[in-house]
Amino acid sequence: MAGVQVGKRIIGADAPVIVGWDNIGKVEGGPVKQFVFTYFQPAMLFAAILFWYYAPNWLAVASTAIAIRLGWMILLLVLEWVNPRYESWQLTWKEFATDAFYVGLGMTFLGMVDAYIGDGVMIKAVQGAFDWDKFSWFTGLPLLLQAVLISMIFDFGQYWMHRAMHNWHPLWLTHAPHHYITQLNINKGAVGNPIELFLIGLGIGGLFDFLPRAFLLAGAIGMTVSVYQHINVRFNTPRWWRFIFNTVEHHSVHHSQDYEATRSNYSGTWIIWDRIFGTCVDGEAEVLGMEGGRRMHIGETMIFPFREGWRSTKAALGKRRGASQQPHPAQLEPAE
Amino acid sequence: MRLPLIDHIWRVRGDVPIDPALAPEEAFARLDPLLRTPGTTLVAEGNTLTYSKHNPAAQDKFATFTRGNLRIERVGGGAVLRFDLFSHALLLCFLAPLLFLGFAQMAVAINAWEGSGAEVSDKAKDKDKPKPVKVLNPVDQFLGAPAPEDPNKKKKDEKKDEGRHSPDEGYFMAAVFALIYLVGRWLEPWLVRRRLRAALANPPAAT
Repeated sequence: MAGVQVGKRIIGADAPVIVGWDNIGKVEGGPVKQFVFTYFQPAMLFAAILFWYYAPNWLAVASTAIAIRLGWMILLLVLEWVNPRYESWQLTWKEFATDAFYVGLGMTFLGMVDAYIGDGVMIKAVQGAFDWDKFSWFTGLPLLLQAVLISMIFDFGQYWMHRAMHNWHPLWLTHAPHHYITQLNINKGAVGNPIELFLIGLGIGGLFDFLPRAFLLAGAIGMTVSVYQHINVRFNTPRWWRFIFNTVEHHSVHHSQDYEATRSNYSGTWIIWDRIFGTCVDGEAEVLGMEGGRRMHIGETMIFPFREGWRSTKAALGKRRGASQQPHPAQLEPAE
Repeated sequence: MRLPLIDHIWRVRGDVPIDPALAPEEAFARLDPLLRTPGTTLVAEGNTLTYSKHNPAAQDKFATFTRGNLRIERVGGGAVLRFDLFSHALLLCFLAPLLFLGFAQMAVAINAWEGSGAEVSDKAKDKDKPKPVKVLNPVDQFLGAPAPEDPNKKKKDEKKDEGRHSPDEGYFMAAVFALIYLVGRWLEPWLVRRRLRAALANPPAAT
């Protein structure tokens, strides 16, 4: 495969990736379908912002957000069924059940662990050590600006954590299982080793003092933007949207079987971070996964970082020991 | 091991009618494209076909049933293909509610354990100083966003602290998995029947 040069890199040499916006798929169907799947994403973002901006205080609470999120997920599942991006990503019962397990693990066990060692706890400890009151001027900013700041600050952290995961072996071992997914569906964001899910959830937004409503607005932005990065729905995403925000197009490139393509599009919500730091590759891909598309089951996902970490350590130690015992160059043919 | 009733949880048995004129070899040849996917071993002996899948791909049509036995039998003047399939996925989904109920119980237990010790010290801390009342930016006041609540007023009618963890998510996920199991136990055999019927009806394309 020839691949396409993007900056200094060749994208799509190992597996097919469509680079650029010219040749990506389009919504097929009548004018109503075209209209719905062109404006769905922006319309939902504005609706969510309006709702959280004007909802009375008794309604603007976390439990409302949870209820909306549940209904939202069901709606997105229906969209996946009605207008899939690729038939080869069609959600099956087994895939849905598998994804639900990871979602459930995040909601229960990981949530409990987070309460002790998560970012909230760390920030409280740091705040206790210094006088952070100076950040309280943030609450005087316009609500939407606060919300965008929360979302961008959190995503900035996610960007660098994610980029580090792709560049430092110990962190990569925690993130690798997530790259074994062979198709994108709305709950696939939850699939991965719990250590990775914990690390990627860490944020520094809690350091700043924002109004609760601004947090809910930021959550709404996340829910109506970053949720699409793992969705099997064909949209005619507006140009301005895909310039600012991360999309399933970008994220499918990130999950491609092509190695160079995976080292791009690290942000969760604001692809603009990738544009700023030079890691954005516009385009899309259908063939996803690692090792030629081997599916990783739940058991292996849980032990992968430990098993591979142990193997890597053993190999590194063996090399070092071998090197000290044998000062001569290694033999050409390895012994069986 | 024979477990005639309980194994309905993870085993699916049934049959689909086939053309009696169809020889077993030809019937199995028609099923071959459906079953012969990466990671699958197939053994055909006489009128019986046995398969076993190792970690099937997500889009494998038989991914839910990792082992199976298909047998052609003559019944009266006709013939049927009897299948007996085994599913790890169904078994695990059946057991998953137990795991999530376990997490819910863990939350309750930790709350009880933490509640017994830390009550006094927490309350003393909260009462210290009144929190500053926050005001909206003039832009938001103009646009009519509701003003933030006074954090000092709220404390009074707050109900008793229920602990750090909530068991509700665990209960919710247990219910979700009970539902996923029931849907799967009905849907997956239905799909298997439909796929077997469709495969048997069409002779494989000449290659």
